[in-house]
Amino acid sequence: MKRTITILLLTGGALLLTGLALAFLVAPTAVGQKGVEIFSQKIFYFHVPVSETSLLAFILGAVFGVLFLVKKSPKYDFLSLAAVEVGFVFGLLVEWTGIIWTRAEWGVWWTWEPRLTSFFILMLMYAGYFVLRSSINEESARARFSAVYSIVAAVNAPLTFFAIRLIPSVHPVVFDSSGAHMEPSMLAAFLVSMFGMLIFSTALILIRYQLQTAREELDYLKNEL
Amino acid sequence: MSAGRQIFAIIRKDIIAELRTKEMVVSMLLFILLIMVAFRSAFGELGDITEFAGGLLWIAFLFTSLLGLNRSFVHEKDEGCLEGLLLSPVDRPNIFLGKMIGNLIFLSIVELLAIPLYITLFNLSIKGSVPLFIAAVLLSDVGICAIGTLLSTISINTKLRDMLLPLIFLPVSSPLLIAAVVATNKIMSGATGPEFEPALDAIKLLAAYDIIFLLLAYALYDFVIGE
Repeated sequence: MKRTITILLLTGGALLLTGLALAFLVAPTAVGQKGVEIFSQKIFYFHVPVSETSLLAFILGAVFGVLFLVKKSPKYDFLSLAAVEVGFVFGLLVEWTGIIWTRAEWGVWWTWEPRLTSFFILMLMYAGYFVLRSSINEESARARFSAVYSIVAAVNAPLTFFAIRLIPSVHPVVFDSSGAHMEPSMLAAFLVSMFGMLIFSTALILIRYQLQTAREELDYLKNEL
Repeated sequence: MSAGRQIFAIIRKDIIAELRTKEMVVSMLLFILLIMVAFRSAFGELGDITEFAGGLLWIAFLFTSLLGLNRSFVHEKDEGCLEGLLLSPVDRPNIFLGKMIGNLIFLSIVELLAIPLYITLFNLSIKGSVPLFIAAVLLSDVGICAIGTLLSTISINTKLRDMLLPLIFLPVSSPLLIAAVVATNKIMSGATGPEFEPALDAIKLLAAYDIIFLLLAYALYDFVIGE
């Protein structure tokens, strides 16, 4: 386990740095519709991987939630918590990178743009998850309620994204049904970042999981004394 | 005892208790009236609020439903009725349906009284189709009560009790709020043609939300109602 985590951390970190290097040194600067170079587009290589990873972590949290309810093993509760924690931290990074891009591109710190808004609601929903966890002392009830809520929250995420779409949007769309709209070197930089982010976040989830397990063991030993 | 009879028994119990005290419907309605006075104070200068009349209405309904949802379980918990319910030979998911339909009935009664008052007080009118307006309101209510019943069962069993419900219920019900606001705003302002498209999408979304969360809450209720 420890070795796996170290390997994942190093691989993920190396890929992330390579991705960023590719983004700034190899990939051309994007050109907007008016033929002007847009340097602020560089954030795309970090912002998008981080947001996809955050959403995946939340989905993972729900999957472990289901597994907990089926198998009743505390192991899955810890895994679910670890995934939601990592998803939440990555979500904060999404908000932050989104905000600085908005500032550079549109001149404001915040606008109620659909995607920003839906992510904001998503973060509030998961903030509720942590409040819920901290307000239950009894372990088995805490695990059951958290699992149920993590499933409800993950199911609600796509619905929120759809609902917000009822109001027109101005977010740049890079991927649609016809494929990716960018040059090969840009796509390469993006994919390297994306994989780096996925591997790195897996390592983080495993670290949090280990920490939880160790905490549990410590409590048990304390009680023994 | 068949499932239908079990569910009906729970609804009947809640309705009888409510008829004796009338506290839930009365306090919810008073709360809505107070919110309307607050709206008047906040937006009185505008005069005409047709543009966002639906939005204001849903803020009032959402917060009122929070009151009702909390009440519906505080009773059960305080008087030890929840244990009684769990000991009775009723299937757990049927407890969910019974409580949910009970909540839905109370919320609908409150809305039935509040909507005409709202329209009169603020000089509004439903310019679009009234049946469609009622359908949108009812669809939203079903969603509110489905997810609200599940989450209020969770929150009543925590240390924070009724403090927790808004924190988890409001973000989870946000798609519902958005869709309900879009639909009622468009219907009230009498939009037609392409202007009206978002309202239809919103109503479809409400229906989808209801189906998803009814099934999910029904399936998960066994895990939240107690060991």
